[in-house]
Amino acid sequence: MSFWRRKKREAELDEELRSHLAMAAGERAERGEDRKEAEHAARREFGNTSLVKEVTRDIWGWRWLSDIGNDARYGMRMLLKNPGFTCVAILSLALGIGATTAVFSVVYGVLVNPYPYANSDRMVHLVVHDAAGNRRFVNLNGPQLQQLRQASSVESVAAMDGWNLSTTGGDLPEDVQGIYLTSNAFNYFGVPMLLGRGLLPSDGPDGQDPENVAVLGYRFWQRHYNGDPDIVGKKIQLVHKNYEIVGVVRPRFTWGDGEVYLPLKLTADPVRTVFPMLRLKPGVTRAAANAEFQSLLEQFAKQTPSHFPEHFRSTLEGLNDHFVEDIGGTLFLLLSAVALLLLIGCGNVSILLLARATGRQHEMAVRSAIGAERSRILRQLLTEALMLSFTGAAIGVALANGLVKLIVNWLPEFSFPHEAAISINLPVLWFSVGLALLTGIVFGISPALQSARPDVAQVMQSTTRKMTTGLHGRRIHSLLIASQIALTLLLLAAAGVAMQGFVRMMRVNLGYDPHNTMSVGIPVHDNTYTTWEARGAFFNQLLKRVSAMPEVVAAGLSTNATPPNNGWEQRLEISGKPSSEEQRARINFVSPAYFTVLRIPLLQGRVWDESETLRGAKLALINQSLAHQCFPSGDAIGSELRVPQLKGEPPFQLAVPGSDGWFQVIGVVSDARNDGLQKPTKPGLYVPYTIMMPVFTQILVRTQVPPLTTLHAVREQIHRIDPDQQAERDVRDLDGWITTQPEWEQGHLVATLFAGFAILALALAATGLYSVISYTVAQRTGEFGIRMALGAGRGDVLLMVFRSAAMSVAGGVLAGVLLTITLNRLLARWIHGSSLDALILVGVILLLVATSGLSCLIPARRASSVDPIVALRYE
Amino acid sequence: MAEKRERYQNRIELLQGTLDMLILQTLQWGPQHGYGISVAIRNRSGELLQVDTGSLYPALHRLEKQKWIAAAWKISENNQRAKYYRLTATGKKQLTRERSKWSQLSDAIAGVLYPEER
Repeated sequence: MSFWRRKKREAELDEELRSHLAMAAGERAERGEDRKEAEHAARREFGNTSLVKEVTRDIWGWRWLSDIGNDARYGMRMLLKNPGFTCVAILSLALGIGATTAVFSVVYGVLVNPYPYANSDRMVHLVVHDAAGNRRFVNLNGPQLQQLRQASSVESVAAMDGWNLSTTGGDLPEDVQGIYLTSNAFNYFGVPMLLGRGLLPSDGPDGQDPENVAVLGYRFWQRHYNGDPDIVGKKIQLVHKNYEIVGVVRPRFTWGDGEVYLPLKLTADPVRTVFPMLRLKPGVTRAAANAEFQSLLEQFAKQTPSHFPEHFRSTLEGLNDHFVEDIGGTLFLLLSAVALLLLIGCGNVSILLLARATGRQHEMAVRSAIGAERSRILRQLLTEALMLSFTGAAIGVALANGLVKLIVNWLPEFSFPHEAAISINLPVLWFSVGLALLTGIVFGISPALQSARPDVAQVMQSTTRKMTTGLHGRRIHSLLIASQIALTLLLLAAAGVAMQGFVRMMRVNLGYDPHNTMSVGIPVHDNTYTTWEARGAFFNQLLKRVSAMPEVVAAGLSTNATPPNNGWEQRLEISGKPSSEEQRARINFVSPAYFTVLRIPLLQGRVWDESETLRGAKLALINQSLAHQCFPSGDAIGSELRVPQLKGEPPFQLAVPGSDGWFQVIGVVSDARNDGLQKPTKPGLYVPYTIMMPVFTQILVRTQVPPLTTLHAVREQIHRIDPDQQAERDVRDLDGWITTQPEWEQGHLVATLFAGFAILALALAATGLYSVISYTVAQRTGEFGIRMALGAGRGDVLLMVFRSAAMSVAGGVLAGVLLTITLNRLLARWIHGSSLDALILVGVILLLVATSGLSCLIPARRASSVDPIVALRYE
Repeated sequence: MAEKRERYQNRIELLQGTLDMLILQTLQWGPQHGYGISVAIRNRSGELLQVDTGSLYPALHRLEKQKWIAAAWKISENNQRAKYYRLTATGKKQLTRERSKWSQLSDAIAGVLYPEER
């Protein structure tokens, strides 16, 4: 019903009643009564006009609306009358709701609605787990992919391949992430384009060379072309080939983090593999599909054994499965932290409302005495509570907007889908509205119920407006304070645990020196340096050039060996010992200078020299862990080992002949982290990089100055050897490699946010306690005055105030400790590698007790400085 | 004072729900405004039924909401703009229903009160 229609009806009702009165008066006048008399009589007969209007309006069914309006107006007046109370209450809620909304928007973006693709719940990746439980994506060659398309459980299969391309025709070649897609891929994704069109089947007909067309990624379009709206139809040159730009994808389409999408040519070449993308038929379970794929993949493994682990289990993975595993726990941990914060905030508001309710007993009694129904008072109070919560929610959403950006920046870069749109969107807003409603009712209901039932007689008879809270009210206060303290303790302890874990990770002994070193990735182009000799010479030349630069202290090659998470984990055989599935090691392909650059000490034996490198000598260094595991008696040097899976696959992996044969161990190096920052170092094996050269390598560069400042010079050196050869765009120093480890980012995120939330919780709890104590002190001013008049000292009063708080604080601390110990296991599972220790617990308790003491001190001092005369006269 | 009480005692309280029926019945004879309805009921009941305005107007608006009567603004005989109510087709049916219910009810009550007359 619109406001205007209602106004019109009100006016009509007025007129209707007016005409009634006029007619009644007119008739009386006709009968001969005096005009004035007649009007009076008619009015008397009519009764109370406004009452008639009111009961008639009730029939329209809009009464609740005007009531709400009245309640809101009145509530607004009450809230404005107590600005201090209102500000604290709204701020408490805004912090709680803001934090909860921010974390929920991340949960929603990452876990609830991460992908823009059609039927993304049925999109799966083919993954196999080997006997040791390692996960590996399956890549298939052309004929295998065609065979997969016939499988009964799939609806459609597309495929992709990724190559780092470079822009040519300009100054320095720029690195461009190229994703080649089968021509049905855009159909498979089912997403609309931002500009132009996607790739079409006609762009890549089976068995023919595909058209030279390209679709741009949104960010690349923004970066490289400044978001040029007329880009469609222009050309882009990539590795000397001109492509016509036919479209631009939308921002959320980030498949493979591609910058350009090009049509893929499926060939019958058995070594050229692509990454399959599947959509299951509706209703097909993963288990059923896995059963079908297991036999299919086993058949494929016989054709191309090097593409599969020796023994494996097919395990289909939904698009989000891995991310849920990576970050789901962390997100739920954060969500529970903010829920605690919200509860503490609600506790604050409840405390404030309860305190105020006692102060408003007189008002409620008056309202009830002049006929307000109980439900009406209840509604009034709930309206006030909801006004608080909705204002809090509005401010909270504004806060959340900032917090979300912070969290997104801190999210582990590769632990969430880049398609996710993490922002305050409509579903998130609905969530906060729901939250506001819920919190308004949660904190508003108990004070409202209490004051909607005033004992009129008692309140009206009492001579003073100040009454001490009843035993019941005090008990609720103590309970609220105690629960606030308990929850705050839990949050503080969790924050302590998270921070300790993170600090421990930062202080971990790496075993190598990451400072002043960077790792420059060199992606080799398709169809270049396709022989072992050519690629070896190219890599050697790269290394020589960079080493000779004046600002470079030392440079080494580390194809796959940039720590702290490096190496290719494979089964190992040791000469003279029975082979076993469990004997595995991480194999690293490096140049001799690798150990100098990273300052990894050589413990025994020697490192191979340059000539040995150039001829691909089958020599190996092992790390301490491998030495301890396999050669406990210290006889490692001179022994022989082999990696059965170490085979080349031209033109991609170029290996020296006999690379799967026996290697001689010539030295032992000290352990350097190779499995992340938290897990112990795994057995590691280092061999000359020439043993096997894939289409990618990295140069490790140690410099005097901060290494990234020399990056441009390094790029120029590479450019001089091969004008088309680019270095990767995203180059980091080794400290940067550490801070992009998922465990580092996760630890950083959790520790920082928990610390922030815990500080907020502490501030909220302190405010709550302060409010309660100030309030009781104010209520008991008279009592203190009398006591002091009768001879109580300031110290006695001070003590009295503290004693009133001590019980609830002590109870809260006790409950919090019990809660923390109970939840410790849960915490330890989600905050990796950390556990609660007594030191943290004691520290947290001390912090909490000290804060509580401080928040009591101010009101307590106020109480003890009461002048008895003033206090008594004040009544 | 005594006179006033007398008048009150003579007046009969309307039974719950009967006012609606009386209004519908009154409008049976033609459109009428609120004041006219109250006068008509009073006159036809021999001054016995006094319709309280606090009941009349809510009832009129309720019946209008139920679409048993419809309203329009007209000029009355003495040149007064007034809101005239008229009976609708569904209102007529409702009146028939209420009348038969009423006669059943009064028969039943009569049967209880005066069993010997049966």
